[in-house]
Amino acid sequence: MAQAVSPPNVGHADPAVAVARHAEDVVVGDRIVRHSLASRAMHWTVGTSFILCFLTGMPIWTPIFGWMAYLFGGLQVCRWLHPFLGVLFSVGLVWMAASWWTQMVMSSRDREWLSPAYFARYMRFQSTDPETGKYNGGQKALFWMTLLGGLALFLSGVVLWFPTMLPEPLREISWILHDVAFIAFFLLIIGHVYLAIAEPGTFESQLDGTVSKPWARLHHPRWYREVTGEQRK
Amino acid sequence: MPIQGLEILQSSASLRGQGTGLRVLPTVSKYIDTTTCIGCKACEVACQEWNDLDVAATHQEGSYQTLPTMQADFWNLIRFHEEEFEGGLAWLMRKDQCMHCADPGCLKACPAPGAIVQYANGIVDVNPENCIGCGLCETGCPFDVPRFSTKTGKMAKCTLCVDRVDNGLEPACIKACPTGCLHFGTKEDMVEMGNSRVKQLQANGFPNAMLYDPAGVGGTTVVTVLAHGDRPELYGLPKDPHIPMAVASKSILKPLGLFAIGATIVGLFAHFLTVGQKKPADDNPPRAGG
Repeated sequence: MAQAVSPPNVGHADPAVAVARHAEDVVVGDRIVRHSLASRAMHWTVGTSFILCFLTGMPIWTPIFGWMAYLFGGLQVCRWLHPFLGVLFSVGLVWMAASWWTQMVMSSRDREWLSPAYFARYMRFQSTDPETGKYNGGQKALFWMTLLGGLALFLSGVVLWFPTMLPEPLREISWILHDVAFIAFFLLIIGHVYLAIAEPGTFESQLDGTVSKPWARLHHPRWYREVTGEQRK
Repeated sequence: MPIQGLEILQSSASLRGQGTGLRVLPTVSKYIDTTTCIGCKACEVACQEWNDLDVAATHQEGSYQTLPTMQADFWNLIRFHEEEFEGGLAWLMRKDQCMHCADPGCLKACPAPGAIVQYANGIVDVNPENCIGCGLCETGCPFDVPRFSTKTGKMAKCTLCVDRVDNGLEPACIKACPTGCLHFGTKEDMVEMGNSRVKQLQANGFPNAMLYDPAGVGGTTVVTVLAHGDRPELYGLPKDPHIPMAVASKSILKPLGLFAIGATIVGLFAHFLTVGQKKPADDNPPRAGG
């Protein structure tokens, strides 16, 4: 892991960005490639399909968001389009599961991140566990909760797609499940987006795929040591 | 079909209806007496004719019933049921249709503004123009009435001939009934007629006779006299219908969810103002080539 990859002589003024098209977890100059193009494409397939599901689903959920329907041509279009976008979102989640499943296995140390005391300290931006790897406990937990929420949304969504062909109790359960899963999942996503704003440099890693060395040292110290070969101070 | 002249009491996915109360309308009602129904199906034909509905292909299922259930283009179905009682075999027939609940589960379930309306006279109607064909009204209906039409992509059900009623005519089914088991009038009059018929039945060997006007859905605009009122399920009617839990839960889940989402956004904004951003002390990255 420790060796830096020499930039290929192609394509982009920033060699780190060029490397990020095909590799990750490598140092290029003073940048570290965090997400390869494939990872970013996967992330944004999930992200954009969720946003589109959100925009077509909210006006069906409550008329308060009825104006969103006009972005697509009305509520009838939303009712037709939303399930297909949901399928796209589900496909994105399968892609995400396949890409990150092994990287997101939680250690007992990761689980400590989820303790209220550690979480409170994290949210005060006071400390980072020096053993934080490429993904911290919160990110790993978000991954698993996203898959769980996505599964609930998919299963209940299929029932709601073809309601008149399925038995009444199933339709009722699915209706409640779709609402509850959405609310819970959306709260997580608000937090996810917020941390991308509150921790500068994070969002860039999902744009060109790279992060600065200080960013990596601050947020993911063990991952930083692994990719740079630096020893723990 | 929305009727312009009628005041709208309740409208789906809307804060309120448009009833001003200036034009006072009596609440209309349809009276069905299952004890005098002969199962002639004149009402079925009249309904298909007046509403310009297609002729549904029937199939033999060992019963006189035209179709197993109502369909998107078949809103009025006489149900046939045979039941063995102490005194012998009873042949129970009931005209099945939309009950036009005072507290309509379909309207409460509907997410499309104005797709289901309840007029001031009690009639619950689908407005296809606004219907998005999601089928949630079918989930919300305790009587399993609304049907999805694959032809139009919209939901359909009995309108209680609101287009006739608004012009001073009785519904087509009432007009066609040859035995007088169907009547149309104000809710008060129909309930009174039903109660007196129930008393007559109770005095003549049907002690359990009742007028079906279930309180669980606020009463129904269509009231039905049942000889065996202790067992409405024999007629295909639920004993104690209520709006399903899933519909009722919307009134809790929506405000709760919106509050949680709003509170989270406000809380995180407060966090941003108080805690700020998490930046590395030495992060001023000069980008190579940038």
